Amino acid sequence: MKDKVPSFLKKPPPLSFLKPSGQRQKISFIEKGINYLAVIIETAYAQWELASREGLLQKIDARIKVFFLLFFVFIISLKHSFAVMTGLGIFFFILAMLSKLNLIDFYKRVFLFSFFFGFLITFPVTFNFINKGKVILPLFSLSQPYSFWIYQIPQEVGLTKEGLQSMLLIVLRLANSLTISFLIIYTTPFPEIIKGLKALKIPDSILMIIALAYKYILLFAQTAQAMHLAYKSRLITKSPKEFAKKWMASRLFILFKKNQAKGEEIFRAMLSRGFNNQIKFFNFRRPTWTDWLMGTFFLGLGILFLMA
Amino acid sequence: MENIIKLENISYSYYYKIPALRNIYLEVKAGENLAIIGANGTGKSTLLQIMNGLLFPSSGKFFLQGYEITERALKDKGILKFFRTKVGYLFQDPDIQLFCPTVLDELLYGPQQLEMDAQEAGERAQEVMEFLGIEKLKDRPTYMLSSGEKKKVALASILTLNPEILLLDEPTNGLDPRTQSFLMELMLALHEAGRTIIVATHDLCLVDELQSSVAVLSEEHEIAKVGPATEILGDLDLLLQVNLIHAHRHVHGSISHKHPHSHFEFHRH
Repeated sequence: MKDKVPSFLKKPPPLSFLKPSGQRQKISFIEKGINYLAVIIETAYAQWELASREGLLQKIDARIKVFFLLFFVFIISLKHSFAVMTGLGIFFFILAMLSKLNLIDFYKRVFLFSFFFGFLITFPVTFNFINKGKVILPLFSLSQPYSFWIYQIPQEVGLTKEGLQSMLLIVLRLANSLTISFLIIYTTPFPEIIKGLKALKIPDSILMIIALAYKYILLFAQTAQAMHLAYKSRLITKSPKEFAKKWMASRLFILFKKNQAKGEEIFRAMLSRGFNNQIKFFNFRRPTWTDWLMGTFFLGLGILFLMA
Repeated sequence: MENIIKLENISYSYYYKIPALRNIYLEVKAGENLAIIGANGTGKSTLLQIMNGLLFPSSGKFFLQGYEITERALKDKGILKFFRTKVGYLFQDPDIQLFCPTVLDELLYGPQQLEMDAQEAGERAQEVMEFLGIEKLKDRPTYMLSSGEKKKVALASILTLNPEILLLDEPTNGLDPRTQSFLMELMLALHEAGRTIIVATHDLCLVDELQSSVAVLSEEHEIAKVGPATEILGDLDLLLQVNLIHAHRHVHGSISHKHPHSHFEFHRH
């Protein structure tokens, strides 16, 4: 073996000195995307895994929480009052505090989704050429009104009171729905959520698919992240875009192959443990008096919000 | 001999919650053969990834030849080139490491990035393939190879860069005995050729074969001890404590008995 060592490896590596070039190395958006995707999924998984069990919501039975979620989403979709939306927002904030969540991280996520799926989508309705109304914030004036397709562009273009109210209400409703959903997700271990869904009479086979998919998302994310690290470890200079595309394609193929093999292995493992196309999940513990108490409190409060 | 790598009180946590390394202080001399051993989940791979500039410590400093390597520093093209040609990393799973269409492309990827002359790059690739006995695989796509072949190709793809430091993560894990002994001999040959070799493993046979310096990681993610292989492998209390050996019942001929089981103290051949 010693005699076969390539001649270039026998020589000491050429003396190299660290010379900063002053030029920044850029990594293509494809690689960044893969890394961020993996990090986000993995962090979400770990968040669930590490969800503190000391808080208020963590102690409540998953079924109560699932019903609570559905009930409050129902209230949010029915009510069109700012006062109720604000009241719900304050109530959810108190719950998040009592559940000992990291409020900054939690609301950062809520507001990010609310901004993209609420504010950006509904913002156009605030203009008076989309929805007629009383202009409270004039933006600019035209020499004359115009008619374009189905739109009437008035001489004075601006934001309307009615439009701003509609946008604010939609954003508030979305933010509240997201807050309550994230609250449940962050305070309930995933298997408990699955069991909670079972209480809603969702078939066990569907639950099994969800549970398996969720579990293997992490494996997928870990593999994608490791692939990115492996690429990074061999990246000396910026690789051409063409190569980045080829790399992406080859990684997708490998991931597909790995997942296919994993799927077959899982199925064989299920067979070896007696799987016969009938999926049954275990039921869960009986709710305690604390669960019933909290359930009654949530129900009462929900009815109050409904009546308000 | 001067330190080529120095880790100064390195700590690392995943998601800022799960500790992977705690206060690691380690010095590696140029040309040294070092094994980092520890049970599963003690942070061996994390430590290697920090030494390869893939992860950055939550606290502490990492120096390569006296230069502090940080995330910011590695964004500089000059520093990145210096660092990546200096340090090669063999991942535990070769599948994630191999991304070029064929074996030959894999071997040429590094030299091409260094803008090496095509003839010199070709000669390097040829020599490395002969060295590892993989010439016949050169036109094969990497997903058509066996685990052992993939491992050899992954190692070959690093060797064509001629790195001074080789970081090997569980290099013999899951390989057949012949490929394992081939890789062991290869590591010894590369060490004799002057390379600094750092191996993360929980395979004590490999440590015994390499007769390297050894850093033991405890299950508390700290360095439990650093010393020569003979001293570490002879310290059964330490190996028991860090979960690298265990007491279990087994049979010798007609005798069945139970004792701390290491193949170096009682079962050496």
